[in-house]
Amino acid sequence: MAVARDGVERFGDAAARFAFVRPKRPEPLPVQIGRRRIYVLPTGFGLFLGAMLATMLVGGLNYNNNPALLLVFLLAGLANNSLVQAHLLLSGIRLRSLHADPVFAGEPLPLKLRFDAAGSRDRPGLELLCEGEHAEFSLPAGEEPEVVLAIPTHRRGWLVPGRMRLSTLRPYGFARAWSWLRPDIALLVYPAPELGAPPLPASVGDGDSPRSRAHGEQPHHLRDYRAGDMPRQIAWKASARADKLLVREYESAVARDLLLDWHALPELAHEPRIRRLARWVLEAERSGSRYGLRLPGLELPGGRGPEHRHACLRALALLPEAGAGRG
Amino acid sequence: MGKAVPPPLDRGTRHACLLAAGACALPMLVQLPPWLAVALALAFALAWFSAKPWPAAWRLLLTLLVGGLVLAAFEFRIGRDTSCAALVAMLMLKPFETHTRRDAQSLLGFSLFAPFAAFLQDQGPLTLGLALPAVALSVLAWSRLSQGRAVPLLPELRRMAVALGLALPLTLAGFWLFPRLSTPLWGLPENSVGRMGLGDRMTPNEWLDALVDDSPALRARFLGDTPPRAQMYWRGPVLMHFDGEAWTRDIGAGNLPAPALEPLGRTFRYEVMFEPTERRDLVALDLPLGAPESASLNSELTAVNAEPVNNLVRYTGVSSPQARFTGELTPWQRRQALALPPGRDPRTVALAQAWRAEGADAAALTARFLAMLRRDFKYTISAPPVGRDATDDFLFSTRLGFCQHFSSAYAVFMRAAGIPTRVVTGYVGGHYNRYGAYWLLKHKDAHAWDEVWIEGRGWVRVDPTAAIAPDNILDTLDDLQARQRAGQAGGADAVFGPMFDAGDFMRRQWNELVLGFDALRQQELLRPIGIDRADAWQLVLAFGIGAGLALAITLWVLLHQHRDRSHPVLRAWRALVRRLARAGYPKARHEPPLAYARRVSAAHPDAGAALFPVSQRYSDWRYAATTLTEEQQAELARQLRRFRIPSRSRS
Repeated sequence: MAVARDGVERFGDAAARFAFVRPKRPEPLPVQIGRRRIYVLPTGFGLFLGAMLATMLVGGLNYNNNPALLLVFLLAGLANNSLVQAHLLLSGIRLRSLHADPVFAGEPLPLKLRFDAAGSRDRPGLELLCEGEHAEFSLPAGEEPEVVLAIPTHRRGWLVPGRMRLSTLRPYGFARAWSWLRPDIALLVYPAPELGAPPLPASVGDGDSPRSRAHGEQPHHLRDYRAGDMPRQIAWKASARADKLLVREYESAVARDLLLDWHALPELAHEPRIRRLARWVLEAERSGSRYGLRLPGLELPGGRGPEHRHACLRALALLPEAGAGRG
Repeated sequence: MGKAVPPPLDRGTRHACLLAAGACALPMLVQLPPWLAVALALAFALAWFSAKPWPAAWRLLLTLLVGGLVLAAFEFRIGRDTSCAALVAMLMLKPFETHTRRDAQSLLGFSLFAPFAAFLQDQGPLTLGLALPAVALSVLAWSRLSQGRAVPLLPELRRMAVALGLALPLTLAGFWLFPRLSTPLWGLPENSVGRMGLGDRMTPNEWLDALVDDSPALRARFLGDTPPRAQMYWRGPVLMHFDGEAWTRDIGAGNLPAPALEPLGRTFRYEVMFEPTERRDLVALDLPLGAPESASLNSELTAVNAEPVNNLVRYTGVSSPQARFTGELTPWQRRQALALPPGRDPRTVALAQAWRAEGADAAALTARFLAMLRRDFKYTISAPPVGRDATDDFLFSTRLGFCQHFSSAYAVFMRAAGIPTRVVTGYVGGHYNRYGAYWLLKHKDAHAWDEVWIEGRGWVRVDPTAAIAPDNILDTLDDLQARQRAGQAGGADAVFGPMFDAGDFMRRQWNELVLGFDALRQQELLRPIGIDRADAWQLVLAFGIGAGLALAITLWVLLHQHRDRSHPVLRAWRALVRRLARAGYPKARHEPPLAYARRVSAAHPDAGAALFPVSQRYSDWRYAATTLTEEQQAELARQLRRFRIPSRSRS
């Protein structure tokens, strides 16, 4: 949900460009929010209230109306303390970790951030803003909640998330206290796989050995479940006996690996070729066959499984831009 | 990008904001004419239940209607009271268009003006008492609005109370030390409807609301000797002109200097705290030898303030009840003091001239007149109405009345007899407060008496009302009120009297401490540190220091208010872990207490002997569900606290 930003907030965000705004450069995790990097500015509501109070102050002074002055100073005291409270709400928070599983370009990348805080204060009403997306969370004393923020991706390769803004409007919405987070981190974004790509090429080579299918064959052995394994590979009965998830590992009798070759697709431009190959990596992985990837200046031997798939997609993601690497 | 439609407020938040706005409006609402207040409250209730916005045309219609009502309530005159009523009316209508967060914010902002406006009109305990919950509910509403969802009430209330408490140091610093204006930049707009107090007019034939007004008019404290109660005439405006129906003031009196007085007998010094009246007249003990600080004495010896008394004023004065006038009446003054409307009250005029013809001087005439009053007249506040010849009717047929009738009739009589006479209004008597040793005079203590000019002595006070024989006092105000009270409480004055005194004493202290504070007293604030009259920069400096101190206190409390409220044993264990960490054995997050104790013991065998058993007990209590009695828990906490790691020998 997009929340309308008022002028003061836009000013604060724009001012992040200036060199004096802390942090001045990306910083390694964990990121500690100290008091010197917390900024506090009134919100539009706060300014409005301030104008009301100023009017009442002038009126009260002019008429020497003591109850009115008491009222004004009480409200001003409250408002002033709320700035301090907002500051204290952020001070001492620590961003412990930040990671994200790679996604394909165009899909939102779920950043997983884990915060904790020193001291025994509850810190409710926190808001995290990054790349126009925001998440609200609170940080009770002694807990380390994980905040998930799905930021948009547009291009393959390393994604360096922009400044993240951790802010709060508490306790009364008079002021926004915020601090910029610039964790020194780069997140991988796979290339977007081609839609409607032609089927996998047949195994290149002599072709006499039939491509063996993974499924329906005798499992070679059982291994522990790893993230990314398909549910249908899980050996449920064996898992129940062993009290942990086991996955059937099929020995493929394939003689030759499927080779996904960059150079075999000269008709495609740079980026479409990457996307075609990305699609084929996925297809090959899904089919269960062993596959290798040949890229300019890089060859990944045949393999299979989530790690291999990741390695292939990573290699594709990190290929230089068109024109950059051609010589 | 299209304009995003703001999400509507949830019901609870809307109601919290509306409640705050209603509470803010209340101090102002109770000052309005009751029917208008009820009408506005009804509009507010209607808005409360209108969760959906009304069509614009309906809203406009309602606004016009309510605006018309407000104007009608103040008889289509524009004054400060009309503006304040209009403000509270707008506030009561605002909920009709309060449906989004932004609306709620503007509602909450504008509502703060309502208590402010109420204070411009009245600074009494009721307004103050109603403003406090208004602030509290506003705080709750802000908090609710910033959270945007339902929250448990009790912690919210606690947070609100803490927030108000934390705002106090700054409030006090600002209140006492923020530089005040010694002269206002602009005047307070006047009210369209006058307030209680001594008026510019006295109409004997009219009921005077002031006579039943139980609110305080002034509090006076004598510095030194106290005059006898019978001498406590607090002199206010003098009424010189009589048109047959009403006595009015001489507008030229302010331009002439005060007459010279020669003090005689004892003089009395006093200090007055005068409640706001919106008028410029003050009162001074008869006869004033000088003007109060901010006022001047006019030619009729009425103290006139430099500006309308909109706030409580404090002043001191010196009076000599027996002083004599040393000057002479000018012919113009004499003519004025003898003027009577032609063709009125023929019997009174005839009687006066007849007695005068019998050779009586002013003193003899007065004695005779008062004797007549004492014999034939009765005092009652429910005087029967009189006709066109009001004095005739009163003197010769009804013979019932109160101070207005008596003073007016005496003045008419004496003027008819050729003796210069004038009516003086003011306050008489009062109620002595034992707690504060001061006299409280209420509006119902307002009184009217006369002064006659006697050659060689000047103006001499005559109070014809005082001549009424005690047996002939039928019906005083106190009787009336006692009768009203008897219906409710059954004559419990003996019980409530002291309570009332104590209450009024507290109110006086509040007046003294808070309401009467101004630039002058602020300048004297630094006297204890040797600055007699503080300059502006000294005050600014003092304010800076005060605000800084207040801020420091607040910060300290804010940083320390989040005390660890967990179990004492738990706290003791955490303290122990902190100590060990300082000694070089930090505990890993995942490490269970016993494993940790084992590790520390291994690294530091001296400590282990003591550390391990106590850790074992802690671990049992915390994790093995071993129940301990209160004493055992306390003992465990003590052991944990007492544990110190022995300093390693330097071997």
